Amino acid sequence: MKEYTCLSIIFAILTLLADKWSRVNVFKRKEFYLFIVIILGFKFLVNGYLTQSGIVVYNPEYFLGIRLGSIPLEDFIFGFSLVSLSVIFWEKFKEKREC
Amino acid sequence: MSKYLLLLAGSLLFPLGLSFYPPLKFWRNFKALLATLSIITLIFGSWDVFAAWRGHWYFDSRGICGLKIINLPVEEWLFFMVIPFCCIFTWEALKFIKAKLK
Repeated sequence: MKEYTCLSIIFAILTLLADKWSRVNVFKRKEFYLFIVIILGFKFLVNGYLTQSGIVVYNPEYFLGIRLGSIPLEDFIFGFSLVSLSVIFWEKFKEKREC
Repeated sequence: MSKYLLLLAGSLLFPLGLSFYPPLKFWRNFKALLATLSIITLIFGSWDVFAAWRGHWYFDSRGICGLKIINLPVEEWLFFMVIPFCCIFTWEALKFIKAKLK
């Protein structure tokens, strides 16, 4: 079973829900999409290096096998959740302190 | 230093340096930063521990220093602090620039 594929999709959905439930709503902010594009550029450098140089090696049994450059498609979904949740938690915790 | 550690150090260099730019007031929210990095490490570290245990991926010994926490290289744990830090810095810098341009 493509466990990595499934897990990455579940986490992405939970991230979208976390944004809504926390009322942070970063996905409704225009600058968030510019942020995602900038981070995507850096992602190609960092994740690209990790996969290209073989520091991290993926088991073909657990992912679709589709890669952008050397980076598995699932890593982009994983990265989306990591990056978005970082901003969501940050905004939420900051807001609490400012109240 | 392992290749993975060098990569993390390289990623952190500019964001960490620029985070001290006074008008950004980045470190004023140190507690929020610490809380964010902790919870992200907990969530994604758990995922990673599970994935490494299941064999979704593994780490080549030539790229890491060899020190492990649970079943993950120490570099992988640092990744969950370094990368979110870089993201939060970029996000704050972007909002700062946007406010300046107004």
